[in-house]
Amino acid sequence: MIFLRILAAFVLMGIMALVAIIWLPVSRSPLSESVPADWTASPGEGEYVMRAGDCMACHTAENGPDFAGGRAIESPLGTIYTANITPDPETGIGSWTLPQFRAAMIDGLRPDGAHLYPAMPYENYRMLTERDIRALYSYFMDEVEPVNSPVPEPELPLPFNQRWGIRVLNWAILSHDNGFDGTMGDPVLDRGQYLVEGPGHCAACHSPRTVYMGQDGIAAGEPDFLTGGFIAGQEAPPLRGQGSRIRHWPIQELTTFLATGRNFESTANGEMGLVVDHSLQHLTDDDIIAIARFLRAADRLQHEAPEEAVATGPLSIPYAQANAEGADTARMLTGAQPDMPLGARLYLDNCAQCHFVTGRGSPGIFPALQGNSLVTSSEIAPLVSIILQGARVEGTEKRPMPLVMQGYKDRLDDAEIAELASFLRQAWGNAAEPVTEAEVAEIRQSGEAIGH
Amino acid sequence: MTFPPEAPLFPPASRARRQFLQVSAASLAMVGLSAPFPAMAQADLPPLEDYAPEFFTPGEWAFVLAAVARLIPSEGAGPGAIEARVPVFIDRQLDGNFGQASDWYMAGPHQADAAPEFGWQTPLSPAEVYRAAIPVFDDWCRDTLGAPFAGLETEAQDEALTRLEAEEVPLAPEIRDFFKILLANTKEGYFSDPIHGGNHGMAAWVHIGFPGARAHYLDWVGQHNVRYPLGPVSISGERA
Repeated sequence: MIFLRILAAFVLMGIMALVAIIWLPVSRSPLSESVPADWTASPGEGEYVMRAGDCMACHTAENGPDFAGGRAIESPLGTIYTANITPDPETGIGSWTLPQFRAAMIDGLRPDGAHLYPAMPYENYRMLTERDIRALYSYFMDEVEPVNSPVPEPELPLPFNQRWGIRVLNWAILSHDNGFDGTMGDPVLDRGQYLVEGPGHCAACHSPRTVYMGQDGIAAGEPDFLTGGFIAGQEAPPLRGQGSRIRHWPIQELTTFLATGRNFESTANGEMGLVVDHSLQHLTDDDIIAIARFLRAADRLQHEAPEEAVATGPLSIPYAQANAEGADTARMLTGAQPDMPLGARLYLDNCAQCHFVTGRGSPGIFPALQGNSLVTSSEIAPLVSIILQGARVEGTEKRPMPLVMQGYKDRLDDAEIAELASFLRQAWGNAAEPVTEAEVAEIRQSGEAIGH
Repeated sequence: MTFPPEAPLFPPASRARRQFLQVSAASLAMVGLSAPFPAMAQADLPPLEDYAPEFFTPGEWAFVLAAVARLIPSEGAGPGAIEARVPVFIDRQLDGNFGQASDWYMAGPHQADAAPEFGWQTPLSPAEVYRAAIPVFDDWCRDTLGAPFAGLETEAQDEALTRLEAEEVPLAPEIRDFFKILLANTKEGYFSDPIHGGNHGMAAWVHIGFPGARAHYLDWVGQHNVRYPLGPVSISGERA
């Protein structure tokens, strides 16, 4: 039977390919620039690269020691735990040489040649300069306290627990050269481009994913670069392109958000809250402005360079009046008629104190719900979870007051939260699908399962 | 919405016989039906007759039920103290921090007969004042009016409370302020958030037009002479 012969040939080829994939030696990328052998990072330089790269957010468990890893990363394929990257020789990276550290950062390779899971954004760190890699290496080796703390094995089903499979993935996603060459034609914009594309690894969340789960758009010029993605069940809104809300923000509001996690209409929740807390608030004003200017330029938008990242001095921020899209909802809520829909009544009873009948929030303090991607996302869990458990935005050096929203899990039942969430998703011109009681019940239960 | 008139605390003695244990079905229904939204939580509480006091003895409990029913009677314009479950509030308060004076300075020196301007001077906690004063007052009622307070006709109860307020009932200095405490606690139980056991169904708030813990009236600051139409909300989220 010719059919069986063809099948047998395919099976044989498959096995040969697999052997090749598993056994061919891995190769490490060549140096992208020559750095004098006696070059050393200036004091604080390595720590600054760590901040820009936001290593701490992922490599520190909740309430755990810095960089000792063990933070659970929920991937679509299963749970993996971030590595201990303290210089502990046994459980951390204390025995790694600079080339081994560099290979992990830009090639996704462990010293033993095994592939790192692509939750580690080596696809983006690949663009780090050789100097930054060296500065980062000396920071972790010389300035971080070693912590002896083993990390749990990943909880992945077959075939995703086979690290050699990542090799195929890497052939697809690590095709770009390592190192960085700015393409913006301006030193400030190039600096912003470097921070966004490389250490900041913004595309890891804010670019869509391809079918083989690589980032669809890792650099300026690629069509889907930063046009929105998802991370840990949360929508990472588009930073550029037609659907982007932030492209309409005044650039001063954009820099304020990056440096403080809050601005005239938004607060950094969830994953972005960690980014501001551990990374962005520690960057210089010049770098924050460079990032904001690059994001504008990547969208081909004219912009003025702000003089400072965050406006200083006394602030008097006026109450945000209802706009045209929100006027009907604001009028209905202001009327306070007893026959209003239950969702609207619940909004008045529970939410309007801070988010106001205008749905535009309290500028600089509490976020607008109108046009808020967390409210209108196809992923409803973040919205429902915040109603249930509340939220907290950490203070930053320039805006020290933490912002806290209480949870309503004891005050509202599942049916009420469904009514409230559905109201939010359709008020003030928002146009998202309603939420059902059953969906709320499921989110409540999964929250209780992790101790909320 | 009309506010309660400046009525005398004790209504005329021509009221019907006391009905303090008969929680007015009509007034409860009024609270429930006036709300376009389903009421929450408190609707499934056991009736007041079935409430098991945490602090009061059966005799004390009978007194408190009878006394608050005369201080805010059920036959007035709004719900009475019984419908609002004020006795539950007082029982829970006396069983808690307030009753035990646990966060007050109570180490003395005490001079129980000091002038009222000097504040709380008795060495007794509020719970101890209730415990000590109720039997003294009941004995006085028995000697003067022929029965313990809870067993008197409403007219006689009103007379007894009026004379207690007027300090015509001999009380030791340590329990001298019993009536003031009882009256204050009754008002508190009537108007405080239902989370504390009283103001059942927010009936007292509905009655006076207080919209509760919504805490958002910015949009109404400029609306003069317009009645605020929405019913109250409680701390736990009940709607009425």
